[in-house]
Amino acid sequence: MGVPVKPGRAEAADIAARNDSPAAAGIVRASFCRPLAGPALAALALPLACLLLGTDYALGQATLVATYAIAGLGVVLIVGQAGQIVLGQGALVALGAYAEALLAAVGWPPLLSLPVAVALGACGGAIASLPARRLGGLYFGMSTLAFALVVEEVLTRWSGLTQGAAGMLVPAFGGGGWRAQTPLAQFLVSLVALALAWMACRRLLRSRLGRAWRAIREDEAAAAACGIDLARTKSAAFILGGGVSAFGGAFYAHWIGFISPEQFGLMLSFELLMLVFLGGVGRLSGALWGALVIVAVPQLIAVARDALPGEGVGSAGLETALFGAVIVALVLWRLRGEKRRGGSLR
Amino acid sequence: MLRAMLTFIQVLLSGLAIGCVYGLVALSFVLVYKAADTVSFMQGELLMVGAFAVVVLQAAGWPLAAALTGGVAGAALLGAVLERTALRYTLGHSHLSAVLLTFGLGLMLRGGVTAVPAASHGMFVLPLPWADEVFRLGPLSLPGGQLLVMAITALVAAALSLFFRYSRSGLALRACAEDARSAALMGVPVARMHTLAWALGAALAALAGVLLAPITFVHLNMGFIALKAFPAAVLGGLTSLPGALAGGVFLGVVEALAGLVLPEGSKDVVPYLLLLAALLLFPAGFGARRTA
Repeated sequence: MGVPVKPGRAEAADIAARNDSPAAAGIVRASFCRPLAGPALAALALPLACLLLGTDYALGQATLVATYAIAGLGVVLIVGQAGQIVLGQGALVALGAYAEALLAAVGWPPLLSLPVAVALGACGGAIASLPARRLGGLYFGMSTLAFALVVEEVLTRWSGLTQGAAGMLVPAFGGGGWRAQTPLAQFLVSLVALALAWMACRRLLRSRLGRAWRAIREDEAAAAACGIDLARTKSAAFILGGGVSAFGGAFYAHWIGFISPEQFGLMLSFELLMLVFLGGVGRLSGALWGALVIVAVPQLIAVARDALPGEGVGSAGLETALFGAVIVALVLWRLRGEKRRGGSLR
Repeated sequence: MLRAMLTFIQVLLSGLAIGCVYGLVALSFVLVYKAADTVSFMQGELLMVGAFAVVVLQAAGWPLAAALTGGVAGAALLGAVLERTALRYTLGHSHLSAVLLTFGLGLMLRGGVTAVPAASHGMFVLPLPWADEVFRLGPLSLPGGQLLVMAITALVAAALSLFFRYSRSGLALRACAEDARSAALMGVPVARMHTLAWALGAALAALAGVLLAPITFVHLNMGFIALKAFPAAVLGGLTSLPGALAGGVFLGVVEALAGLVLPEGSKDVVPYLLLLAALLLFPAGFGARRTA
């Protein structure tokens, strides 16, 4: 595979299926090193962060990173694997969070309400993607965006159910008398949840469906010629991606303890997109690295702003502008890297 | 009966006026979408910045006409500069990078304006001519601001259609949107056309901001209206300029009428429900030809 030969259409799906691993020469080394490098680095980084920032704070942030990573995994399925675009994933996270909060309010144990949250997210993904399933591409962006705006409005207006913009309190995660109150317990639970979601996604990527996604991503016409039902396979990506994101949302509700519609607005949807874009859309581990950046950047910006002179009214705007600048810089940096490597973004 | 009829017509008119603004923003979306194959998430911010620029120029003592021209031209310049420095690099990459880039640029613009204390708290009035007068036509009273918005939108639409039909750059821009490679082979400077498209898109958004000023005043969040231009653009088929304008007007009217019939607050979701329904039922837009 050293010579870049343009594959014939019949081969495209096959090549696409292999495309996630690097070229043949690097395969052996990469397949041993890559899965180990991430956890090893994380295992080193966490104690360091605990030392520097204080244990509780570091664990709290790590919990948030893991939760964002779960939600990001859903976006990886849709954007990275199936090659479609989603602009309203925040709404599916919201569905998961609100399902969890509402069921907790009527006394369901979290372990029972989790499947409901996931199912609701999957339904949301199905509805959001339905209008564009035969059009694809940016139309998915449009339909998911519209769906997200409708969901946000409904969550705000239906105050009888969701208490509207005032928000809802959510009890801590737990089951059978035990509650995850301490940062360490919360971190461990979210780590387990991340591992579960991760394994589910891994399993998916290696299934027939996962191969079909990558085939569509590489060449729709070739995929269709191979007998893949385009509309159904794309919808499946949105349904499963929605379920995974809602799973993350359910935990988010528990960890934050208070949810309101504006937490799940357009900003969250774009943060999730940003997250997978930064980490590398094609890999599951991309979600984790991206989550680390997305959680860390606002904090770093806050620190940087405190260091600057001139406290005052404009500081909120300055923070927004800095966040935008970081996004722009990171995107341009990635694009330049792509150009140098000569590959396209996957 | 007559009274109900009058209310209906008044609501229709205000819907038409706001629909014209939706239509202008949708025009700017479609222009960018066709030329750069991306959805721009900073049109709302450009709209807000453009309106603020006019307010500032006017406060600095410029006469209104000069301030208007200056503000819109400034927005066009801003669009061109952003294209040259950032947006250009997304060409040939995934949709994702361009969408994120425009969102980031939008945040920068928004944050930049928020950081100015006066801008983040105040509502500003743009004293457009005839905006505060009310014209009477029999029992009907026609607010001048609304008539002004419609008149200017019609003028802009006419100018744009002339530009795209007869001017050299307009034809070149259309050629690029149709097929960039062939256009390049025919000697069209594609990169320059790309810049032109973003500049035009920014100018249109700024103009929409100016026209929105008599309706909602100039304030920090006026850019949120751009979200409603997405449904307008989709209703028009996403690739048709007249379609975008028509979609915007249609949306404005439907939204205004929905406000009459539906309970308070639910009219805000009408555009998005329309978008979803339009994609489901008319995937190629109303009356547009499906090309690919």
